[in-house]
Amino acid sequence: MSSNRFDIEINGKACSAEKGETVFEVAAREGINIPTLCHDTRLEPAGACRVCLVEVEGQRRLEPGCAWKVSEGMKITTESDRIERHRKVLYGLYLADHELDSEGLPVETGNGNQLRELAMKTEPLALHPVEAPRAGRPADENPYIRFEPDLCILCARCTRYCDEVEAVNAITLANRGSQTTIATAGMRGLLDTTCELCGGCIDTCPTGALVEKKSPDPLPADARKVRTTCNFCGVGCQLDLHVVGTNGTSRVAKVTSPPPGETVNDGNLCIKGRFAYDFIHHEDRITEPLIRGEDGELHPATWEEAIAAAAEGLGKVKEKYGADALGFVSSSRCTGEENYLMQKISRAVYGTNNIHQCSAT
Amino acid sequence: MRKKGAQRERILHLLEEEGGVTEDAVRRISAETGVPEADIWGTGLFYTLISKPGKRVRVCDGLSCRIKGADELFERLAEQGKECERVSCLGQCDRAPATLDENLEQVCYGGVERGVMPDDPSLPMNLGGPRVDSYASLEKAKEIGSDAVIAEIEAAGLQGRGGAAFPAHIKWKGVRGQAETERYVICNADEAEPGTFKDREIILRQPHLLLEGLAIAAHAVGAKNVAIYIRGEFTSERRMIEKAIEEAGDKISDLDWKIYNGHGAYICGEETALIESMEGKRGMPRLKPPYPTEYGFRGKPTLMHNVETAACVPAIVERGGEWFKGLGRSEPGTKLYCVSGHVNRPGVYELPLGVTLDELVEVAGGYDGTPVAFSPGGPSSGFLPISARDVPLDFKSLANAGSMLGSAGLVVLNDTVDMVMATKWQLDFFERESCGQCAPCRIGTRYLRRQVDSFLADGDPDSLEFAGDVGWEMEEGSICGLGMVAAKPLESAMKHFPEVFEERSSE
Repeated sequence: MSSNRFDIEINGKACSAEKGETVFEVAAREGINIPTLCHDTRLEPAGACRVCLVEVEGQRRLEPGCAWKVSEGMKITTESDRIERHRKVLYGLYLADHELDSEGLPVETGNGNQLRELAMKTEPLALHPVEAPRAGRPADENPYIRFEPDLCILCARCTRYCDEVEAVNAITLANRGSQTTIATAGMRGLLDTTCELCGGCIDTCPTGALVEKKSPDPLPADARKVRTTCNFCGVGCQLDLHVVGTNGTSRVAKVTSPPPGETVNDGNLCIKGRFAYDFIHHEDRITEPLIRGEDGELHPATWEEAIAAAAEGLGKVKEKYGADALGFVSSSRCTGEENYLMQKISRAVYGTNNIHQCSAT
Repeated sequence: MRKKGAQRERILHLLEEEGGVTEDAVRRISAETGVPEADIWGTGLFYTLISKPGKRVRVCDGLSCRIKGADELFERLAEQGKECERVSCLGQCDRAPATLDENLEQVCYGGVERGVMPDDPSLPMNLGGPRVDSYASLEKAKEIGSDAVIAEIEAAGLQGRGGAAFPAHIKWKGVRGQAETERYVICNADEAEPGTFKDREIILRQPHLLLEGLAIAAHAVGAKNVAIYIRGEFTSERRMIEKAIEEAGDKISDLDWKIYNGHGAYICGEETALIESMEGKRGMPRLKPPYPTEYGFRGKPTLMHNVETAACVPAIVERGGEWFKGLGRSEPGTKLYCVSGHVNRPGVYELPLGVTLDELVEVAGGYDGTPVAFSPGGPSSGFLPISARDVPLDFKSLANAGSMLGSAGLVVLNDTVDMVMATKWQLDFFERESCGQCAPCRIGTRYLRRQVDSFLADGDPDSLEFAGDVGWEMEEGSICGLGMVAAKPLESAMKHFPEVFEERSSE
């Protein structure tokens, strides 16, 4: 086993590494920053953005840290004049192919823009725009996901995510060279594809080329994240609610997943968890128990009163028609424990086997 | 994700049968194969022969065809009401200007005599001689065994003829030494480096040498399957290979032979892009390592050779590695040199590796006009001034001269050619053929072409201010060889012909 663990050197520092790891993984553990745009820990390394190129002793060319496998005694350099020049020109090329703001920086978006952050750290070469003929899908009427071709760097994180993580394959790289774009079959709107509108493509996009239609712009500076558990089903995905405004007027403006590797959902969400948050502030939302009175209207009540009213009503049915006149259906939004309790009420309290769960059909 | 699957491998062929990418075709193929529609759409649109349905005439855009009137021919054909399209080099530079008709059959407007060496049995490939189809070398190879065959290849010093000059025996040993026993031999017949048409001539004139060389290689490395990936524009060449496999019959039927069509993508000449294409994917080069000898077609050990490399093998087995090595002048063996442009008899000439340009052109009937520049191995090699006429045309000497032999597709330019315009034509090619996977190449090729266009329009030298930086980054940062060399035409033209650029600036 010992031969699987060995030391490598990064910028002169000895780092413990394991066979099969990449330079990027070892560096990250050691707190050494190797910038990247196309890497996502949930995906196979693509080595396509070229931002993470490092010097590997003995190799003539710069090599991608995200994909380069470590071996014993390997010597890596992540900062040098050569790498600095590489970054300046590479970022310059990216900027020549990107929508810029009035200061000449990649535009900020509601989904961030990591290229902007890189460009602020290393002054890119000022190159003329290349005006790449990259097609978008402006007529796509899906309600959630928007693709901005002028912000796309073709790192293919979205298409790889759709394939490798979701196995949905709704989007693809299409065309070639400078015409390469993110497409659907027939350039149809996402609603007419296999897309499940999970929005994972937005989540993985590093430059805001994919944004939420409901939240396309950067949130105000005082926006804060509130961690919660999604209640649409029993999986227990963690959500970060992006809350804007102060007490009383605060609203959820966007929902994202915690980063990959931190919670049970590993950075992923479904259409409901990510996009179906409008109910939170809906005027018709019921926020307290209601009991229908003799007058036929619903009246606010306490939980104790409501539960007592339900128990009484169920008891009367059983008394009059027998236990099997009752049936219990629990919601797919319940957890396993809640479903268990529901069948306990059905069988042990009321004495009927008429128990069902809505997602069991 | 490296997806494998027999169904996936079929999609390009099915798209070809459907006549190109349409929504309906994609839907049908998806239903038949289970491959997602988007994947079929995106893969199909990578390849120019199937990305646009419908039939049209294709007019070559290569340097040799441009200087022999391809632009005028295009206009003439368009005036005749033909639907026409400009396409990257068709590998018919000796018949410039070259075209393909609506059914991808070659149509000759050049009317030039096709140059080739006269019959000489002492030449390993002897393209001008009678067809060799005895398969005696294959029999001998089976008798002497794999180790002895590989030893002869090593003694011959055979270097990969596709352009990289990688020692062949190292690949053979690499594949043979793998633990995995499912192995493949692939012939790279995706000949598409502009100026190059030697593989075409081998296939048309000595197809059995190619098959025999591949069969010897397959037996030596323990492969049962041989695949030939031929560029989609080579219609008659494909027919020739099919016929040759049939003619060879029992002699090679112990191996499983399969021909794959290319679909219009220069990048598929890069070995890992070629494999991706065979697997039914966009022809985007893989990251290396792992190399194909370890992880190739279907993830299995794969020996891949250029047509010419394989065609050298029978003679080496028959007459010995030392003999082959001795045929070369500065490097081992003979070499098929393609020469076109401003020479009197363009063609493919088998000469000792390391002859000079003057010697080559003498065989090719002499210079047409006053030569000023040449491109030794397609646009990938950039330009050299005619003063480099004494540099041995071999891999090492040309590399030392800042160029490369590559696939030995030499194009000679005389003083009627505007070097800045010639540079732009070469940059056009790389922009069109970049796969788009990595930013240095995808953006860099377009940037350089646009800056040269801008310089051509107004002569402002500032247009080219950052060309050197961008070229440097393309070489340092691109994934594959295409991006690494795509700035060469501009870089070399500015280096060797600074006066041409200065003249334009001062106008």
